[in-house]
Amino acid sequence: MTAPHWLGVAEAAHAIAARELSPVELLASLLQRIETLDPLLHAFIRLDDAAAMNAARAAETEIAAGRSRGTLHGVPIGVKDIIDVAGLPTTCHSKILLDNVAQQDAAVVARLRQAGAIIIGKLSTHEFAIGGPSFDLPFPPARNPWNPEHHPGGSSSGSGAGVCAGLFPGALGSDTGGSVRNPASACGIVGLKPTYGLVSRRGVFPLSFTLDHVGPLTRTVADAALMLDAMAGHDAADPGSAATPAHGFDRLLDRGVRDLRVGFVRHFHEVDMSAHPETTAALEDVARVLQSEGAEVRTVTLPTLNEFAGINRVILCSEAWSIHAPWLRSRPGDYGQLARRRLMPGAFMAAGDYVGAQRRRLQVIAAVEDALRDVDVLLCGSSMDPASRIEDAAETARTYSRQARTPFNVTGHPALAMMSGLSSNGLPLSVQFVGRYFDDATVLRVAAAYERATQWHQRKPPIG
Amino acid sequence: MDEQFVAALARAAGLDKALAEFPDDVAAAAAQALNNTGVIQVPDDPAAEPWPPMRAGAGL
Repeated sequence: MTAPHWLGVAEAAHAIAARELSPVELLASLLQRIETLDPLLHAFIRLDDAAAMNAARAAETEIAAGRSRGTLHGVPIGVKDIIDVAGLPTTCHSKILLDNVAQQDAAVVARLRQAGAIIIGKLSTHEFAIGGPSFDLPFPPARNPWNPEHHPGGSSSGSGAGVCAGLFPGALGSDTGGSVRNPASACGIVGLKPTYGLVSRRGVFPLSFTLDHVGPLTRTVADAALMLDAMAGHDAADPGSAATPAHGFDRLLDRGVRDLRVGFVRHFHEVDMSAHPETTAALEDVARVLQSEGAEVRTVTLPTLNEFAGINRVILCSEAWSIHAPWLRSRPGDYGQLARRRLMPGAFMAAGDYVGAQRRRLQVIAAVEDALRDVDVLLCGSSMDPASRIEDAAETARTYSRQARTPFNVTGHPALAMMSGLSSNGLPLSVQFVGRYFDDATVLRVAAAYERATQWHQRKPPIG
Repeated sequence: MDEQFVAALARAAGLDKALAEFPDDVAAAAAQALNNTGVIQVPDDPAAEPWPPMRAGAGL
């Protein structure tokens, strides 16, 4: 029988609903694991064990009485510490906001609670979702369960590390330049950046208004679909929220990929950024697996990664400066060095740079839309390299920007990263699937077919 | 990069304190910002609009 801490979101929810597993028993198992492993992994900024146990006991009582709150009843979920949880500080992993206690839940947290989820605590991030991994902040950076000397990816670092290590079955992250998909790639789990507007950003500390997304990190594709079902939905208080149907994301999971057309964006990792040979080999293998499952795989061309990255950088820096300028002017010493260096460039950019990037953005969106008229999904790299050693700042700086995730923050298309193999030094390799706007279900469908065919999700980090 | 030019821009942006306490960080940020020239193919067409478009009433 699977140990409770390795149960996924769907498995745990099913076992709890069937009264085969008590929410209290599940939470106790997770808390014991957290006590053992978190001193090494630093996934948590704040463990809310007492409140979580109260919620688990309440769930146990409700379920025993035959009352179900929803699809996640009794399932513990971790929350990146830029997302508000009522009564807890949202520190953004920064000295700037150490005492910033949230008055109410972020909309996405409220939705998870409505579905019965239990919030287990607040998770490590790069400072303000941009400055990390750093050792000059009030909390240490999270570490990779596959090898704690390596970076778990970021900025949703604690979300990735904790899900990977079995500290909780699912977590919330945010993604402005790849921050859900990067830790998913580095930790060998599933990270979904939903279509822009599908999940409310209300109560999530902004980094860049037009690039920010909120998404789930899980160990399986089905778990990501289940979490997204609970998280998604229109929110009139979020100006970017879309009034569109937002349910049934699991409806295509069993359909396979027969007759689907997959566009393989080879130039991202072959020409624009030459990927690590093991990453390239794993991506070719993904294409072969999908073909053997019945998909048609063809090569497609998009604008270059360099240009997508430039657009993302100008927009992100400009919007982030408008948020952080008051603190950067008055309290520059309260930021860590990486955040200070990454948030100040907006001060040196002209309004014309920002508008120029937004004008080009519309054209690159059109290019991706053109490609998606001829294929159902895109296949491309996520991280070009396995995770760097966390204390090797130069190597982290070199590899961190070698990725193909920012294009889909610029365009807003749904994008999912997941494990595609293990490198020769035992670290996860990754692949990314991208779909049409609001067709997140097809992205999950392809990912589920790949997961079934390869079973990479069964691999566990050698951490106990 | 011209240090005086960077310092003038930093002061214009109100970053006097950062400039005094963290001059290397200010210089690094300026270098990152000013090295984007030519990376983005800004449209030649004067009528090419930015994203997101203004949508009166929609989504509000």
